[in-house]
Amino acid sequence: MLGDLLFWVLAAVAVGAGGLVFGCASMARATYALLAALSAVGGEVVLLGLDYLGVVIVLMMTLEMALMAVFMIMFMMSPSGLSPMSMRHNTRGAAAICAGVFGLLAAGALLAPWPERAGRAPADPTRALGLSLMGPQMLTMTVLGMVLFATIVAVVVLATRHGRYDRPPAGAREAARRGGEVG
Amino acid sequence: MAEAAPLWWALALPPVLAVAAAATALAAAPAGHGVAPLRELARRRRRTVAADAPLATLGAVLLPLAAVSGAVVLPLGFRSVSDLAVGVVWFNAMAALAWPAVWLAGWGPNSALSLIGGYRFLAQGLAYEVPHMLALTTAALGAGSLRVGAVVEAQRGLWFVTWMPVAFAVHLLSAAAMAFWGPFDRPVGRDVAGGAAGELGGADRLSFLGGRWLLLVVAAGMAVPLFLGGGHGPLLPAWCWTLVKTAAVLAALLWLRRRLPAVRMDRFAAVAWTVVTPLAVAQALVVAVVVLGR
Amino acid sequence: MGVRAALRRRAVARPAVLLAAVPGGTPSRLAVERAVRAAGWPLVEGPAAADLLVVAGRPAPGAAGWWDELYDRLPGPRARVSVAEPEHAARALSAGRDLLRAAGGAAARPARPSGRHGGPGPGGPVVAGPVVAGPVSDHLPLAERGDDRDGLRLDVLRLPLGPVLLDWPAGLVLRLALQGDVVVSATMDPPSPAPAAGGPPFWDEPWLRAARGEPVARAAAARRLCAAHLDSVGRLLGVAGWAALAGSAHRLRDGLLTGADPAAVRRGARSLVRRGERSLTARWMLRGLGRLPTALARRAGVTGPALAAGGDAYDRFRCWLAEIERSAGLLTAPGLLGAGERVGPRGRLGGGRPPSAALLDVLPRLVEGSEFGAARLVVASLDPDLDELSRAAAHG
Repeated sequence: MLGDLLFWVLAAVAVGAGGLVFGCASMARATYALLAALSAVGGEVVLLGLDYLGVVIVLMMTLEMALMAVFMIMFMMSPSGLSPMSMRHNTRGAAAICAGVFGLLAAGALLAPWPERAGRAPADPTRALGLSLMGPQMLTMTVLGMVLFATIVAVVVLATRHGRYDRPPAGAREAARRGGEVG
Repeated sequence: MAEAAPLWWALALPPVLAVAAAATALAAAPAGHGVAPLRELARRRRRTVAADAPLATLGAVLLPLAAVSGAVVLPLGFRSVSDLAVGVVWFNAMAALAWPAVWLAGWGPNSALSLIGGYRFLAQGLAYEVPHMLALTTAALGAGSLRVGAVVEAQRGLWFVTWMPVAFAVHLLSAAAMAFWGPFDRPVGRDVAGGAAGELGGADRLSFLGGRWLLLVVAAGMAVPLFLGGGHGPLLPAWCWTLVKTAAVLAALLWLRRRLPAVRMDRFAAVAWTVVTPLAVAQALVVAVVVLGR
Repeated sequence: MGVRAALRRRAVARPAVLLAAVPGGTPSRLAVERAVRAAGWPLVEGPAAADLLVVAGRPAPGAAGWWDELYDRLPGPRARVSVAEPEHAARALSAGRDLLRAAGGAAARPARPSGRHGGPGPGGPVVAGPVVAGPVSDHLPLAERGDDRDGLRLDVLRLPLGPVLLDWPAGLVLRLALQGDVVVSATMDPPSPAPAAGGPPFWDEPWLRAARGEPVARAAAARRLCAAHLDSVGRLLGVAGWAALAGSAHRLRDGLLTGADPAAVRRGARSLVRRGERSLTARWMLRGLGRLPTALARRAGVTGPALAAGGDAYDRFRCWLAEIERSAGLLTAPGLLGAGERVGPRGRLGGGRPPSAALLDVLPRLVEGSEFGAARLVVASLDPDLDELSRAAAHG
């Protein structure tokens, strides 16, 4: 009963905040409306019994949206939304696509022959899900993750040799050299 | 061992944390500066031109909410309000809410210096978050569980700090960094005239700066169950050990603050990625090998 | 309402002070800082945290407009006082507190929306400008763009810094063009002339008086020199976020200026200098900022510690520390200052240009290309004294 109620509340938040993303004129508001929607989705995943996945979704989306706000603002005119602007482009086509996709997904959810539960739910559904998704490739994926991570760190190391701050601007360097010749 | 706590613990949690945060703030403040919260209550809210006031207020309110939510898994003795099965990740997710909170508080008022403060915190977050996640993972790895109660239970004999000192140090560093406090206070630094907090007045300011102290206390308090054996200890009752150890961690942080100038992210981020992160990975590796060998 | 009033009474017992010093107001600023510390009141970094605005020094006529504007940004209940003479500092502060108590009633008007938009007027800007935003109304300009150092075109934000910032040279207005948090260019407003009634610049006083032939004890000059460097170091440490050591420096400075025992000063100075020199973090954070090689400094006419250090902000910091220890050793030196000894805390006095003029000349070049916080550290590591310039402007 409580679970049902939570499900519908979270679903309403997710859809409502998702719609708000396109209603906000401000990039900051749009980004954080998206975060609210995604966090509600994380809550739904927790309701499914996948605690770990749900909380990780909230964690990752929080960090990602905080950074994405920076990029959204960087690339948009009128970042603070003080002048009216619209997040909607090609309204009619987009609406058609959205309605189509929604219909497809809803039809799939309602019409698919869902299997009956055989046996009991595992003690740790996250673990079971991970094993059934990754299976024998778990070690490979873990190693791959570490390699990717090490690559990121290495790239950062290479990039910091000439960081953004400590390098004198070309103009100033030029001026210093000219100054040196004159003086 | 972790027993279910009575329901009233959930109600008692925010005021208890507030008292702990106020005590820490008082211990840190120079003599006579302790009346700051009173002052904020007496003040009016501020408005700036073309501000996004709802977002600024959201940021200010989110910070204490994040701290208190994270504290749900913090055990006093061997009991916490809710010993979630994924408690360690829960704490991490709630602490991560500080990212949007600080940025929103900096963005909302539409002022350049406060915006710089907000952006500084994101840079700081990028520097501390990965090593911090690795430190949390290391402790969970040592216990073989993400449940905070299980992590405490695994330290019945030997505290984790003895064989994961790097992870412990990284956690302390991250505690100061996520609360943008002490050497990591540049997001609200004096050089940007208060930074993210610089344009907040009245209730917003109280909520934001109070939330910062809450976050510091919770993050420092989390070091106790993760690395310092939680409620384990001779003679004293378990809840008493938790308090003593938390106070000791906070005292160490306060002492450190007096010894160090602030750390700027344009310098620190490189070290965080090239030194601290590999160290934290190496620590996790050592612990993983030990756990596999057991 | 009763609770709120009671809270307010408790809170204004120790009001938070926003200190705004004007050029030529150094003695008043020092007196206010001393009095605030003695009373145990907090000295805050911006108007949002302040109850009491204290203007130290005598504002030039016509500059009153932006004091009003700054005052409008205090959330209230609020009050302001001005301290024209250093002797009146303590009295003005307690008067300010009384004003605050009186302002606690419902009669106080709410804070006006703050911020200044577009080009700041002749009065000069206050703490910070707004983020440039879209053309929502007549006075919010759209961000312009400029070439970035990485070959991109990025938004440029024009941000005036000063004249009221904590640990900032009084009267300095630096107009920064920022791309992200990187300073791409900086220009300076000409210093405003000081009121004619003032004496010589406070920190240079002993040497200027000796140059005029007045008898000045060598010990008194050493005392002033040591205090000047302690003031600079304290401000640099304040910007660097080392509040504990900055507090020690300022306490020591106040002790020197109020005639503390030389032996005690020497002990305090030694401990301060050791702590500063030993700090690896300070070295890590200041190294490489605002490099001013000896050749460049000499060409720009820089004298004093900035020339002697001949390097970056950390070198200047170490040079100040060394000078503090050296001058603390001269506090009991016998004899009088010769008329030829004209090297003040910031360099050679008595030439055509005061030493701070040369510091200001090199300043924009040194902050360009640095991160915002680093730029503030560079300014603090040079610590030009605009008193010297405004006197020159007033007399010349």
